[in-house]
Amino acid sequence: MSDHDHPHDHPHPPETQDAGSQALAEALRSSFVIVKFALAALVVIIFAAGFFTVGPQEKAVILRFGRPLGEGQKMLLSSGKLYWSFPYPIDEVVRIPITENQTVKSTIGWYATTPEMEAAGTEPPPGPSLNPERDGYVITADRNIVHTRATVLYRIDDPRTAIFNFTSGTNQNFNLAGVSNAVLNAVNNALILTAVRFNVDDILTRDVAGFQDAVKERVAELAEREHLGVAIGDVQVQSIPPRQLKDVFAAVTTARQNYDKLLNDARSEENRILSQAGADAASITNAAESARTRFVTGVESDANAFTELLPKYAGNPNLFAQMELAKAMTQILTNVQDKIFLPQCADGKPRELRLQLNREPPQPKSAANP
Amino acid sequence: MKKNLITILIAAVLVVIFALLLFTFQVRQSEVAVLTTFGKPAANNIDQPNLYFKWPWPVQQVYRFDQRVQNFEDQFSPNYTKDNNIVLASVYVGWRISDASRFFQVWRGGSVTAAQQQLETMLRSASLAVFGSHNLSDVVNPDPSQLKFEAVENEIKAKVQQELGANNYGMSIEFLGIKKLGLPESVTQTVFDRMKSERQKYISEAQFKGEAEATKIRSAAERQAADVLANAQAAATQIEGSGVAEAAKTLSVFQQNPELAIFQLQLKALENSLNQKSTLIFDERQSPFSLFQNLPANTPTK
Repeated sequence: MSDHDHPHDHPHPPETQDAGSQALAEALRSSFVIVKFALAALVVIIFAAGFFTVGPQEKAVILRFGRPLGEGQKMLLSSGKLYWSFPYPIDEVVRIPITENQTVKSTIGWYATTPEMEAAGTEPPPGPSLNPERDGYVITADRNIVHTRATVLYRIDDPRTAIFNFTSGTNQNFNLAGVSNAVLNAVNNALILTAVRFNVDDILTRDVAGFQDAVKERVAELAEREHLGVAIGDVQVQSIPPRQLKDVFAAVTTARQNYDKLLNDARSEENRILSQAGADAASITNAAESARTRFVTGVESDANAFTELLPKYAGNPNLFAQMELAKAMTQILTNVQDKIFLPQCADGKPRELRLQLNREPPQPKSAANP
Repeated sequence: MKKNLITILIAAVLVVIFALLLFTFQVRQSEVAVLTTFGKPAANNIDQPNLYFKWPWPVQQVYRFDQRVQNFEDQFSPNYTKDNNIVLASVYVGWRISDASRFFQVWRGGSVTAAQQQLETMLRSASLAVFGSHNLSDVVNPDPSQLKFEAVENEIKAKVQQELGANNYGMSIEFLGIKKLGLPESVTQTVFDRMKSERQKYISEAQFKGEAEATKIRSAAERQAADVLANAQAAATQIEGSGVAEAAKTLSVFQQNPELAIFQLQLKALENSLNQKSTLIFDERQSPFSLFQNLPANTPTK
């Protein structure tokens, strides 16, 4: 009898297949788990990579299938938020270095200098002429030469135009270099065109504000005509005469100041003369008024006195006359400075008198005044 | 079963992404693309931003161009005007690729540098021609009605545009302007000399004009002052006259005894004339010195 002779129906897998298959299945199972995990991780990474933020000195634009999302200023995403976009090729985030106000400085009309020299307040020595390759300047309407430069502030009014319609030509990046260059050329053109319409003295002294306004007007006009998508803000223009003529221009300024001084002095003299004349006139009329009053009053008082004296005179005219004369002589002799009594000659002949009419005392003779 | 579905979904997403990368391309807002099939460019430009289909390399290939406005400036070069003046000018231009397919074929590999070199040649030639047909006063003039600055710019632009169109370079001009205007170096010195003499003229003018104006103001003031004083004198005479007229009303009083009136006037005249700083010489015949006649003679003692 065998030790396993009872009949039974439970299966018995082949012993050779069992170990190999099981190991393979186990390996495949674990590999699939790893692959699934990797795939899931990849999806998560792709999803997470869609998050982005915007820096403080920049703006961002999401391009969906190449087209910017949003219109106008809403197109520009600012800092302070967390944004999410689909991965490329659906979405693409472009960043643009942009601040509220952009600045361009036109120096095509300025002599050659460096920022370091500007900061130090120095300048290269001027030559006898201007080298067109090196020294910038503008020609004025009266065919003179001046140096002028402008600083223009502008802001992006239409981001779609300013960012997506202008390039700096160096690469396909998105920035403001292209539109900035276009604005700068508009400023350059405005300076030149405005200068050829203004005379040198208008640019430098007589109509500085008018020149600046005309430059601004031209820049704004070009910005609109060339569809730059920017709004022109403050425009500052600085103009100076050629450094070669600095002294002679300064002399003109001095001469004009002297001219003003001469006129001011003359006007001040005019005021003095007229005031004096007014005062003298008032004095003359016042004196006349006073003389008139005095005269009339005097005559009236004389008349009164006459009326009073008349009866006395009528009584004894001779005595009255003698008394009045004696009274008058008393007063006269009191007032007279020199009184000379000249007795009559004993023989009754007239005396000869010699009068020295010069009243000034004779000057003593000296060495200086012989 | 559920686990398998997730796996399939993830795999499908990845396949879609891979397919998108391989079979599509994106054209951005700023771009224009040319699609070549086995190296031959398609006639149509792809200039609208979107996602487009393509067969993978080597069947089809995408060439992208910047369709934005590009700035270009030519050299600062001399131009001769109609009235034989030399004017240095530099022109800036905003140009763009208007036909990318054509641009790609005309300029080897779509080289912007090569295109701009040609553009510079055209700008130079147009500037010379246009400045040559204008006087200097057309570009430098204080009278706005005489100034043809913008006309010169427009003529240069029209010439360049015409040439670009005639040659079908796939480029167009958006705007053009003069960036810099100058004179030859030797001329600047002459201008300085002229400006200097002009300034000297202003200096002497200011000096002489100032003196003349000042003299005019002073003499006018003096004349006005003389008028004022003369008027015052006239007024004073009138005032005094009115005083005399008023005083004359009392004349009837004196007419009662003209002899006394005259005596009193004489007495007053005597008093007034023999006031201070006068010398009176008299002898004993004159009253009241006649009193001296009766004095005893003062005989000298021996």
